[in-house]
Amino acid sequence: MKRGLIAWDRTQLPPSVFDSRLARARAALAVRNLPALLVYTDVWRSNQARFLTNFMPYWNRSLVVIPLDTPPVLLCALSPRVYPWIKSVTIFEDIRPASKLTATLDQLCEDRGWSGLGVLDLPKLPVEIHSSLRGRAIVDVPSAGITDPDDAEFAMRRRAAALARKALEKGAAEIGQFERQLRHLGAEDLVIRVRSRGSDAYSVSVALEYCGHWVKVTRAYGPANEVVMLERRFHAALADGGGYRENLAGPQPYEPGTGPIFALHVEHQGLYYGDTCAGSQPL
Amino acid sequence: MTDAINEHRRRQLMDLMAERHWDSILLYGHGWRKDYFRSLVNVNYSGPHAAAHLSRSGEISVIVADPWDRELISEVTGAPVVFDPDFAHALPRASAIAGLELMEARFVHGAPASATADIEELRRIKTPDEIECLKQAAVLADRGYRYFADVARVGMKEYELVAEVEGFLKSNGAEDNFMLIASGGTEVVGMKPPTARAFQPGDSITTELTPQVNGYYAQICRTLVLGEPSKGQREAFAIFSEAQQAAEDLIRPGIRASDAARAQNDVFRKYGYGDYTGSKYTRVRGHCLGLFPDETPHILEDVDYVIKENMVLIAHPNTYLPLSGYMVFGDSLLVTASGNVRLNTTEKKLFVKDAE
Repeated sequence: MKRGLIAWDRTQLPPSVFDSRLARARAALAVRNLPALLVYTDVWRSNQARFLTNFMPYWNRSLVVIPLDTPPVLLCALSPRVYPWIKSVTIFEDIRPASKLTATLDQLCEDRGWSGLGVLDLPKLPVEIHSSLRGRAIVDVPSAGITDPDDAEFAMRRRAAALARKALEKGAAEIGQFERQLRHLGAEDLVIRVRSRGSDAYSVSVALEYCGHWVKVTRAYGPANEVVMLERRFHAALADGGGYRENLAGPQPYEPGTGPIFALHVEHQGLYYGDTCAGSQPL
Repeated sequence: MTDAINEHRRRQLMDLMAERHWDSILLYGHGWRKDYFRSLVNVNYSGPHAAAHLSRSGEISVIVADPWDRELISEVTGAPVVFDPDFAHALPRASAIAGLELMEARFVHGAPASATADIEELRRIKTPDEIECLKQAAVLADRGYRYFADVARVGMKEYELVAEVEGFLKSNGAEDNFMLIASGGTEVVGMKPPTARAFQPGDSITTELTPQVNGYYAQICRTLVLGEPSKGQREAFAIFSEAQQAAEDLIRPGIRASDAARAQNDVFRKYGYGDYTGSKYTRVRGHCLGLFPDETPHILEDVDYVIKENMVLIAHPNTYLPLSGYMVFGDSLLVTASGNVRLNTTEKKLFVKDAE
């Protein structure tokens, strides 16, 4: 759950970044002759809305609407009491209460005279939202080409990966110590796992969200020769496409697959090593 | 709960399948909502998706989307576990799905019935094992709040306090924690994730602290003032305390969720603050607890649900008041045959800490 620092440092992530990202979404709309793009977001599935608007809900769910020629609108299931905070960390100026998401969406469409909508990655919508849109003129708009990482995305993920690597450099620590250290460094969300191989060695995996940007880093602690072997395996797998790859650019924090940004993991005799990579290099 | 596969729940689900004429049921979870899956297979998976399939004859199989989860669930339960990066491909068809509404549309084959409401109702009544987990979580919530109050100080930033408390809870056995925080004075209208705001003398620091132990969440809500509380803060707390006590005095089997909400709101009305009991200033007057930190039914005046023995819920009259800004106060309560017992033991008071 997101309960760490959610902040927007505009020196790290300038507002102009979002202008160019929204331009990509609008170009996709123009090609399809659509008036607006709908993006679903909730606590867990927040990467796409975050990429386009810097909004990442800490609770509940929302719909982002990106019109072709006017500023984006947030249909928000959170209380209006937190809208000033949302405005302080996102690009939104227009936030509308929406305890009933699709009813509020219908009203917006009627007000704007929209007869149809594009939906980002329609097959990945939650069933409840997907079924409530049935009967409306909606078109699937695949995220490829819209949410592909740009230089700013790579830079933020590198910051996140550096935090995770720094925490893991020190080796032996219990989960609470990792949690404390990483949240002090600004981690918004964390999934930390420890996997022991008997009494002689163990692996620690840190999936970390920093300002909405997920990375995953795994390190092994045990006999030095085995750790060196793991590192070699990792680089070999990176070069030849082997190992276990998790997609870190998708709508979830991490899911199996490959993408422009991915986490690669290798295993050797019960020990694991991994890092977040782009192309043929760790970020 | 000692057994990762919940035998009591398995029997309940088999009865449900027979009653509904379902051949099989799937319990789905993702990274945010693990509760449907864990209501049958209580293992804290950490991949993006997991599903437990129960046949009418009572056989359980598990599908996961992360290789570490396969090893973990297989070791702990002995049930067959399939790992497939293509989760949609690996999912079996089922007559009904709990958590259906959360699933990505591409995962759903055919037209299964939703078992979500049935499972939620089954989960509301806790077994002795579940109650033991909730008691342990409440103990940890008390310890966590004590730590919270110990480490909070003027100049500390909100997220730094959260980092300290999260570290403490994880070091002491919490699987997860749900936590909101706010700090400041009468300008504070609600809670949210922590910011980089530094605590000031006179601040109210509010928190909902909700550690998870063996899958089960218990919650405590308290307000801490840095320095001598103002007259407004003391007056406000007296109202919150009276409202929470009114609910605690009332809650027993047979009353309605709406009664518990009305008992709290009537205290605010008595003091002329009825306007602050609505959705403009507050969300709910409490909620149930269990495998999810915000289970239904919510405690609201328009929720017509009869409270039953062995439910666990929190009554919290958390809201904004112009006297103090947003304030919180509440404890986890176990509904007994004749009333309820508090699971938290933290002192029921407005916490005060020297601002020096």
